[in-house]
Amino acid sequence: MFARNKIDNTQVLSSMKAKHQRYEALVKAFHADIFRYAYWLVKDKSVAEDIVQETFLRAWRSLDALNDEKAAKGWLITILRRENARRFERKQLELVDIDDVFIHDDTQQAEGDIKERELHRLLGTLSIEYREPLILQLLFGFSGEEIATQLDLNKNTVMTRLFRARNQLKEALEKQNQHRGQANG
Amino acid sequence: MDELEFRRRIYADPNTTDSDLVAAANADEKKRAFWQEQKVLDSKLKQTFKVDVPEDLASKLIWQQSADEFSRYKKRSRWYVAIAASVAFAVGISFTMLQQQSISLGDHALAHMQYADVEESHSLLPVDLNMVNAKLASFGASFDTMIDGVEVANYCHLSTVQSLHLIVDTPQGKMSVFVVPSRDNFKVPSEFEDDSFHGESFKMQQANIIVVGNKGSDLSTMKDAVANRIQFSA
Repeated sequence: MFARNKIDNTQVLSSMKAKHQRYEALVKAFHADIFRYAYWLVKDKSVAEDIVQETFLRAWRSLDALNDEKAAKGWLITILRRENARRFERKQLELVDIDDVFIHDDTQQAEGDIKERELHRLLGTLSIEYREPLILQLLFGFSGEEIATQLDLNKNTVMTRLFRARNQLKEALEKQNQHRGQANG
Repeated sequence: MDELEFRRRIYADPNTTDSDLVAAANADEKKRAFWQEQKVLDSKLKQTFKVDVPEDLASKLIWQQSADEFSRYKKRSRWYVAIAASVAFAVGISFTMLQQQSISLGDHALAHMQYADVEESHSLLPVDLNMVNAKLASFGASFDTMIDGVEVANYCHLSTVQSLHLIVDTPQGKMSVFVVPSRDNFKVPSEFEDDSFHGESFKMQQANIIVVGNKGSDLSTMKDAVANRIQFSA
């Protein structure tokens, strides 16, 4: 009886060890991009950090449910989006629509490339349904079909949103250049 | 391919390698320029998306996982402690009850003494050795010679234990001898008493012998008498 327990214990221990290693690998591989995704969802670094912590805590607790390592990215994004929705439900009353007050972005250094700062601001002004597919495409390298699956949308809808997102950005950039041209001239 | 369709598809995915788009771009310098412009914008967007990640984030994530595991482990062990405490409590309770049960075996013997007179009146026939041995047989025991003065030999129950009750007339008054099979689930007290009787017991191979007599009477003669005569088969 004791011998059997011992075997069981070592099995449990080694499977715990394997789970830890899996979790750490998951953190190392994805925490940066998951954080960026969260940042571009909420446009606030400390809130993004909170969401990422919640996301990885949930991921740890249900790590056994992740069978396919290739699906890890999508799995984490799904948890992250759910976590964000939950936070939004909780704090709906406290939130101000950041689009309205998004004038300064403290996270960017003042001496940074002027073009990149503008782009950063413009990305922030894009509505979330345009910004999110763009993040998935550029940050995670998802194809149109993968984005559609991840966001539970029709592929045509995804392509249209990607098109509109870039179109809006380009128009906004052109408008700014015009303004600057006028101001300079 | 018209201009709008071309732009729509490039906007949707500037890194596409669709052959018809490539062909259209090769045929039209304006389209090629537009595509190039989009690719440049895209690489800038990629850079912009890559905001700085807090340096210690990965360590925090690993730390909070082990903290979570530890707090869950603590909760779990608290649960185990609770179970262990319950088991210990139950064992304690049942042990006490068993103790009480075995103590009451003496009390049961005393209680039987109260009815000894009533039982005596039922027995019209004299008790002989064969009759006593027939009854002792179920305990795997027998007497080799008869004890003097046996008036009654009857089965009775002390608590839940079947035993043989002998009522013996002696110079010191009526005495009772109980033959109780040995079992693990009860204990026979070696001495017990109440207001009018006292009893003593001793253990033999397969049975406990309890002798009860009037208060103050000497039970050792009867104890010796039983011990010398009783035999156990195998």
